[in-house]
Amino acid sequence: MSDGQDRQDGGAPLEIEVEGLRKTFGRREVLKGLSFGVPRGGFLSIFGPNGAGKTTTLRVLATLLTASAGTVKVAGHDVREDPMPVRRAIGLISHNAMLYPDLTAQENLRFYADMYGLTDADERISDLLERLELSARRYDVVRTYSKGMRQRLAIARAVLHRPRVLLLDEPHSGLDPRAVDILDGLLAEIRDEHTFVMVTHNIAKGLEWGTKLMIIEGGRIAYEHAAGVDHDAFSAVYREHVHDGSVL
Amino acid sequence: MGGWAQFKAIVRKDLIRELRTRDMLVSMILFVILAMIIFHYAFTVEEGSDLTWFTGGMLWVTFIFAMLLGLNRSFAQEKDERCLDGLLLCPVDRVTIFLAKTAGNLVFLLIIQAVAVPVFALFFIERSFLGDLLPFLVVLLLADLGICSLGTLLATISMNTRSRDLLLPILFLPLIVPVLIAATGATTLIFAEGTGFGSLAMRMLFLLGFDAVFLVAAWGTYDFAIGE
Amino acid sequence: MKKLVSAPALFVGAGVLLVIGALLAFWYAPIDASSMGFSQKIFYYHAPIAAAAIAAFGVAFVAAIVYLRTQDLLWDRLGYVSVRIGLLFSILVMITGMIWGKAAWGVWWAWEPRLTTFLLACFLYAAYWVLRSVVDEEQRRATYAAVFAVVAFVDVPITFFATRFLPEGLHPVVVGPGGGGMEGSVALSFAVCLVGMLLLMAALIRRDVEIELIKDRVTDLKTSLGG
Repeated sequence: MSDGQDRQDGGAPLEIEVEGLRKTFGRREVLKGLSFGVPRGGFLSIFGPNGAGKTTTLRVLATLLTASAGTVKVAGHDVREDPMPVRRAIGLISHNAMLYPDLTAQENLRFYADMYGLTDADERISDLLERLELSARRYDVVRTYSKGMRQRLAIARAVLHRPRVLLLDEPHSGLDPRAVDILDGLLAEIRDEHTFVMVTHNIAKGLEWGTKLMIIEGGRIAYEHAAGVDHDAFSAVYREHVHDGSVL
Repeated sequence: MGGWAQFKAIVRKDLIRELRTRDMLVSMILFVILAMIIFHYAFTVEEGSDLTWFTGGMLWVTFIFAMLLGLNRSFAQEKDERCLDGLLLCPVDRVTIFLAKTAGNLVFLLIIQAVAVPVFALFFIERSFLGDLLPFLVVLLLADLGICSLGTLLATISMNTRSRDLLLPILFLPLIVPVLIAATGATTLIFAEGTGFGSLAMRMLFLLGFDAVFLVAAWGTYDFAIGE
Repeated sequence: MKKLVSAPALFVGAGVLLVIGALLAFWYAPIDASSMGFSQKIFYYHAPIAAAAIAAFGVAFVAAIVYLRTQDLLWDRLGYVSVRIGLLFSILVMITGMIWGKAAWGVWWAWEPRLTTFLLACFLYAAYWVLRSVVDEEQRRATYAAVFAVVAFVDVPITFFATRFLPEGLHPVVVGPGGGGMEGSVALSFAVCLVGMLLLMAALIRRDVEIELIKDRVTDLKTSLGG
């Protein structure tokens, strides 16, 4: 199935367990049986061409899509049978901010805090806004924010309820270099407390962060390897496995 | 568990948003009053034409069309910034989302009606119907609930389609006809003759039944309407 | 699908019954004693067509619920086809109803509860059609269509009930409380026509589902060839 099967990432318990995941849209099968695991504290980088099924995989993990077959467990809970604890355990950062533009930063975070039933909402919001350098603009409507500021606020939204697992859907896309630095700074700050799955086109970032690398093509895992591959070698592997050759 | 807090959070979020931008309410109120003026010109055949027997019809046609405008907006903002994903990621029962969205739309409709009904009475109703206010309000609330629950369910579906706001009236209007028939009849009787609870009871029960049936239908299907 | 009876057998059965029913209606059942006289004969087709339309929408309703539970596209195809056949029968109901109306009341169109309800049902299921055409992704289309089919089927009897609030209708109540009841010969002719029409509906649905499934296979084959 894959070149570098390695299940024993230091023996930590698996935070994400995917077994035989299939997803069909109508009669089109997008995921054709994926199996992989991510140990607690791990960082899985998923690469692959557009339409390969990367985002679909991530959305299944996020409970936004239901699997057609197979079992998916996140933080010890089955995403289909028991989605509520999974939702509490995950945060999603994507290139869409998922923020209400007509509400202020405070109101947006307050809304999500209520949705997650946070008991210490006010302190948590203040603390996050402080760390993300958004305190000064706290009572401004999000519509007036720059792209980078929105992305920072999106990160605050995603980690607000202290999720154990962070799902990143091309978080670097559309960011200017300064925003990329801020994002990376934040990731570094929260890296130790979380398990990550990142879908990305950005090979450099994927290799930099990943403890485990995976290429999905045509709904299957085409390549799976522990980290420690250098950029050139990985690019070669990518070209070998992905036939449209759209390597960055 | 926590459903009530989440319900409140969603409703409050929608209210804050709307009261801040007012883009939906202002348009809806202008639309409603303009529609009345249009009706006046459309139905006045000669000097002093008696429009009494049209009042219920004018009122509910106006409200239903105004609600169509509002319903399209109500989900447009969730969709535009992918906020719906954010909402669906939360550990919230989908039915709670439905109930909160329905309640929010109901509040907007009631705000519109609070402005529109007095203006309407001023324009079209000669006899004082203050004594009949209570049956009128009961009919209003029951019909509103049906309009908002069914409208919210259908708006959830239509927002995910290619034609969005074009589709909603086609789905919504044929389904809402029973409410239109019952509410129009009841309202006209109240305005024209001051009919009280007694002879309106059947219509009120009917509206109540409609609300119950479609709340249950939405309860059973909303997961599918909003998911995937 | 169940292979108990083949589609051609259903068509033959329906055809035989409908012909016998027509013969019975014209030569066995008596000429109507009321003002309608001979033109009352259209009742033997009009009412069974209406029953078949309602039954087809009923099939679509059940198929919708089963689809939502199983997510199996076969049920979506059954629902889609049933709505189409139901729509076809509804249009026939309105045409025969208008003929009836012209003969009985002297007008082509009367805002009469049953006719009005069928008119609205036509628009409802036409909306179902439009809804399907504006959703590209197949599973989503099937899901939305199913939700709408459930809501629509629940709405139709409610609409019919609501029309009772309107000023008096004209429709004869043949069976049911206060109805005139049917003579034996009338009842037999009617029953034969009814069963024939239901069989015809089943045969049409049966055939169309098979066509849809073949279309699906063609699409699949095209996709697999096209890469």
